[in-house]
Amino acid sequence: MLPPRPTDRFMLPRCEDCGKFHFYPRPVCPHCQGAKLAWGEASGKGAVYSHSTVHRAPSPEFREGVPYVIAIVKTDEGPHLLSRVVGVSPEKVSIGMRLQVRLSVDGKPEFEPEV
Amino acid sequence: MNAYIAGVGESPLGKTPNLNSIDLQRAAALSALDDAGLTLADVDGLLTTPIRVEKWAMPVGMVARGLGIRPGYMATLDVAGASGTAMVHNAAMAVATGQAEVVLCVAGQNQLTNVSRDATVAQIANVGWAHPEYEAPYGPLIPTLYALVAQRHMHEYGTTAEQMAEVAVAIRGHAVLNPLAQMKTPITIQDVLASKMITSPLHMLDCAIVSDGAAAFVVSSRKGRKRPVKLLGQGYGFTHAYIGEHDNIATTGAVQSGRRAFKMAGVKPADIDIAELYDCFTITVIAELEDLGFCPKGEGGRFVEGGRIRLGGELPVATHGGLLSAVHPGLAGGMFHVVEAVRQLRGECGARQVKDAELVLAHGNGGIIGIHCTLILGQG
Repeated sequence: MLPPRPTDRFMLPRCEDCGKFHFYPRPVCPHCQGAKLAWGEASGKGAVYSHSTVHRAPSPEFREGVPYVIAIVKTDEGPHLLSRVVGVSPEKVSIGMRLQVRLSVDGKPEFEPEV
Repeated sequence: MNAYIAGVGESPLGKTPNLNSIDLQRAAALSALDDAGLTLADVDGLLTTPIRVEKWAMPVGMVARGLGIRPGYMATLDVAGASGTAMVHNAAMAVATGQAEVVLCVAGQNQLTNVSRDATVAQIANVGWAHPEYEAPYGPLIPTLYALVAQRHMHEYGTTAEQMAEVAVAIRGHAVLNPLAQMKTPITIQDVLASKMITSPLHMLDCAIVSDGAAAFVVSSRKGRKRPVKLLGQGYGFTHAYIGEHDNIATTGAVQSGRRAFKMAGVKPADIDIAELYDCFTITVIAELEDLGFCPKGEGGRFVEGGRIRLGGELPVATHGGLLSAVHPGLAGGMFHVVEAVRQLRGECGARQVKDAELVLAHGNGGIIGIHCTLILGQG
């Protein structure tokens, strides 16, 4: 199994057998079922695949951030991931919008519009 | 050997503060057994699902204990929201292989009064439907994960908020005609669009309700005392565990489950009289209509227009009022679609009866559109 996700840069699991990226981390490569997996450097670039603006927080810890944008980001390397879109007002977010990664204080990848 | 759905029933539904999970399941079980002309003494097989309001290490053992029975065949079945439909199939297999003669399928809980609606919202956001490490920390509601499906579907196919609202309006219309339904006030498309935006593009009325309640059915080699109903085809479809791992989120595993069920039954979508579709959100119904083959991919939004999925329309959907308006107590929610399918095939549905219903499709969806079980039911 992979070591924990690096928190100082944006990386994605990559299969050393077939060379392809995937996400989320899994016991075996979803493309070739290979088990030799490592974190690989990724560009941190991608685009909005889908998005939703959350107006009602699931629990009190998220309440003060409302409204916030949850998105599925399609990375340029291929894999999707769920994340937040930050640094832009929610109504300006649209499918296809280009994004770049920005690591949150705890090393969690979030995305902002590409400069 | 043939297996029939010989009896169906439910507990009091909606808000039942004086009944715990076992009270509800016992009431549903006795109602289904009575419907079949059987008693608990006849039961030699038992299926249930996990529930959330109790700390049960072995749900089927606790249900057997609560009913005072010692079945020779038993299992806790969990394919998430598809469990209701999958129970029929698993029970039929047990009967067909001679493991049991009378399988009682029962599940439910007091989700609303034990936990409350707000606590349910918080609880289900944190039990693993969203990936605990890679999704939940961003703060999605479960409805958000379906909203992502809706937004993508709108983008790819031009589906509109009004078309999604029509699903809620049609199904509420059915609940109005069901005396047992929780929500019995008619609504309009404008009401849905004016209801609170929860997680765009889903409004409050695009989302399922939270209920107390339990459902039960009896699957047996015996026909029971009413018109027997038979399982003609079933199929499962699995595409992903987490929505972030699904490459094409506007398409569901209903493609595979539907194809398998229709092939086994030897019928086609146009032969189906009623579709008891899993309606946890309005978008779910639109995607299922497409993926099960009732219309081409991308046409689901247009398909629901013009009253087509309302009673009296070409393909009535969720004729009991569904998860959107009748009852949704957790994993048992999908059982009510089966209960309704059986009653429609028997002609027992009164004001909401679909005339001459001969073939009914019942469909369960679990996770975030990732796991599906389709049944095709007909007269035995």
